[in-house]
Amino acid sequence: MSGNVTGIVVRLKLSLLRNGLRQSGGRRAAYIASAVVVLLFAVLQLLGLIMLRGTAHADSLVVLLVAVLALGWAVMPLFFPGGDETLDPTRLVMLPLRPRPLVRALLAASLVGIGPLFTLCLFTGSVIAIARGGAAYAVGVIGVVLALLVCVALARAVAAANIRLLSSRKGRDLAVLSGLVIAIGAQVVNFGAQQLGSSGLDRLDPAADVLRWVPPASAIGAVESVSQGSYGTGALQLALSAGALVALIAVWSRHLTRLMTSPDGSTLQTATTAAVRERSSTGLARLLPAGRTGTVMERSLRYVWRDPKTKAAWVTSLAIGLLVPLFNAMQGTGSIYFACFAAGMLGIQMYNQFGQDTSAFCMVAMTISSPRDAYVELRGRALALLLITLPYATLVTVLTTALLGDWPRLPEALGLSFALLGAMLATGAWTSARFPYSIPQEGYKNVAPGQAGLAWISIFGGMIAAALLCAPVIAVTIWLNVAEGGGTWTWLLLPVGAAYGAVLTLLGLRLAAPRTAGRLPEILTAVSKG
Amino acid sequence: MTSAVSVRGLWKRFGQQVAVAGIDLELPAGKFIGLVGPNGAGKTTTLSMVTGLLRPDQGSVEVVGRDVWRDPVEVKARIGVLPEGLRLFERLSGRELLAYSGRLRGLPGAEVDKRATQLLDVLDLAGAQHKLVVDYSTGMRKKTGLAAALLHNPEVLFLDEPFEGVDPVSAQTIRGVLERYTASGATVVFSSHVMELVESLCDWVAVMAAGRIRAHGPLAEVRGEAASLQQAFLELVGANGRDAGSDLDWLGGGAR
Repeated sequence: MSGNVTGIVVRLKLSLLRNGLRQSGGRRAAYIASAVVVLLFAVLQLLGLIMLRGTAHADSLVVLLVAVLALGWAVMPLFFPGGDETLDPTRLVMLPLRPRPLVRALLAASLVGIGPLFTLCLFTGSVIAIARGGAAYAVGVIGVVLALLVCVALARAVAAANIRLLSSRKGRDLAVLSGLVIAIGAQVVNFGAQQLGSSGLDRLDPAADVLRWVPPASAIGAVESVSQGSYGTGALQLALSAGALVALIAVWSRHLTRLMTSPDGSTLQTATTAAVRERSSTGLARLLPAGRTGTVMERSLRYVWRDPKTKAAWVTSLAIGLLVPLFNAMQGTGSIYFACFAAGMLGIQMYNQFGQDTSAFCMVAMTISSPRDAYVELRGRALALLLITLPYATLVTVLTTALLGDWPRLPEALGLSFALLGAMLATGAWTSARFPYSIPQEGYKNVAPGQAGLAWISIFGGMIAAALLCAPVIAVTIWLNVAEGGGTWTWLLLPVGAAYGAVLTLLGLRLAAPRTAGRLPEILTAVSKG
Repeated sequence: MTSAVSVRGLWKRFGQQVAVAGIDLELPAGKFIGLVGPNGAGKTTTLSMVTGLLRPDQGSVEVVGRDVWRDPVEVKARIGVLPEGLRLFERLSGRELLAYSGRLRGLPGAEVDKRATQLLDVLDLAGAQHKLVVDYSTGMRKKTGLAAALLHNPEVLFLDEPFEGVDPVSAQTIRGVLERYTASGATVVFSSHVMELVESLCDWVAVMAAGRIRAHGPLAEVRGEAASLQQAFLELVGANGRDAGSDLDWLGGGAR
């Protein structure tokens, strides 16, 4: 019977993979392209690892790679809960299955797919890179199988333990932030790799010394031990991985049984007692101005924190705005003008203001009956943005200056930042009124189908316009730096840039307001497609 | 009789499809008015154009004697709207949403909070007022939307399918609030395709099908000789006599 179940579930997994090909043209292309890219990477890293063979510190690098990949397996189900439908055992709850055959079947099914194939390639390459002698290769085969099983069981156990979270609203919110974690993680990894490249691989050794005892990296560590003749150590490392596998399967199996025998909690009403957090009005609200301005600001700021899409966009902007100038400064390639990146990245948040409201813009539209209302609405949103952006851009500029030690240039960098911020706010307000588009609330897309052109015009057109609007300040900056004796006057660029930015913002809002008030139905239609 | 809403020659096309094909309508003030019709009849499009949320291709709309498109200041202050598809700020709690909506309309903060507390109590939302709207059930969302639409005490209330997907208890609560509201002389215009509901609630109905008004007037007049509004409606839209009896003869009666 159990072989039967395993066969069926594996075939189910294969059909799911195949069905990836049976989507609409664009999605199929993306599916195939991603598969090809992953396979290409798998082959490349396999070749790379084989070439590493015999190099010093190859063992440390390999152990670290395996550990990082295992970490990836552990967090992947949290970020991509929809990625593998066989990962969600609640879908099989209606079938009469016993836990043991089910665990076997699901484990077998998890081994099918591109992810496991990639992992297999990396592990095999790792063994080839470090194994010396027949015994080491034999241990390598066991090690690869063990490590792969530990990875898969780890993913399953994490998914089963968090299935309640994954099928809830909070879990979906978390998933939206995942792209971000990857983006920022890539920046950090990139920086780390550059550091390693400049200072050598021996930096890895202390970390690897710990990790070669942590499953599943210990299974690959065993290969190294056996290569050096320490058979006892190798056996212990293998046993550690095997023990981890047994423990993970036990944990997973227990969660699975509980999941299959208890009701789905996602539709249960949450206890009303939990909701009795008496917060008549937040401290923030009392500091904001009264009337529409304060109301709009409060709502915008709440959304920065509470709405996953808005939050993801903000965190991305904040992180990139900080990382780019700082990393460049740390590597000695930076210029103080990179600090303007922060203002530029954060200014993007002014774009498509009404798209961020989604169809709830309807509530706003019902209360805008004159250009004056629209002006106050847009100004409130701009002020909310400035509340975060102004201190942040200043901070980034000061930090960059401190790293570079280029204090005389601080005023002009700040002035440029403020001018750019003003230009971004102005063009953002105008394009919000003129080129609104929907932001789908589910999934990773940030533009509704059919509106990509609009989004493109809105953001890139706006950014080019913002750069052009800044041209006078940039020109003055260059002139003061080039002209003889101009250097003594560069401090002037701070007040000039700030004033210029403020004037641009006010003009942009003034221009955008009548357009917003006059196009309410059109904006509402455009932002309601999500 | 004064008109709450007066529509003349209203048209709307979406590409090739005509959604609303020249509507003329006078809705009397102080009544509970039902706009009924099958799915796709143009009810939502009509209500959107009447409330200024969708620009008509042609025609004019006056609400409480003022043109919706030329005098939005006067109109928007006097109407409340519960739009289709529950367009609410999902990441605010119910109470925050009401506070936001009332303040956007320029009401004093203290007054907004007082009215919000009362509305939340009456609509049985007090227990969930600090939960985010995104975690609300359909019934709770409709009630929250209704509260937001009532907060500024409008003269005319437009509701698009207020009872769709709402449980019987919430429906009864909504009903109670609306009946009290119309008893004070205000006008409610709501769309629905549930005839029994319209029949039991409304004293004035307009029947829509395929973008046109097929009949309108006091309930008794529209119902005429028919046994129920449902019957009258089916006759009006010409859907009577369609029978699914001959097919599906295998369905029911035990497995064979």
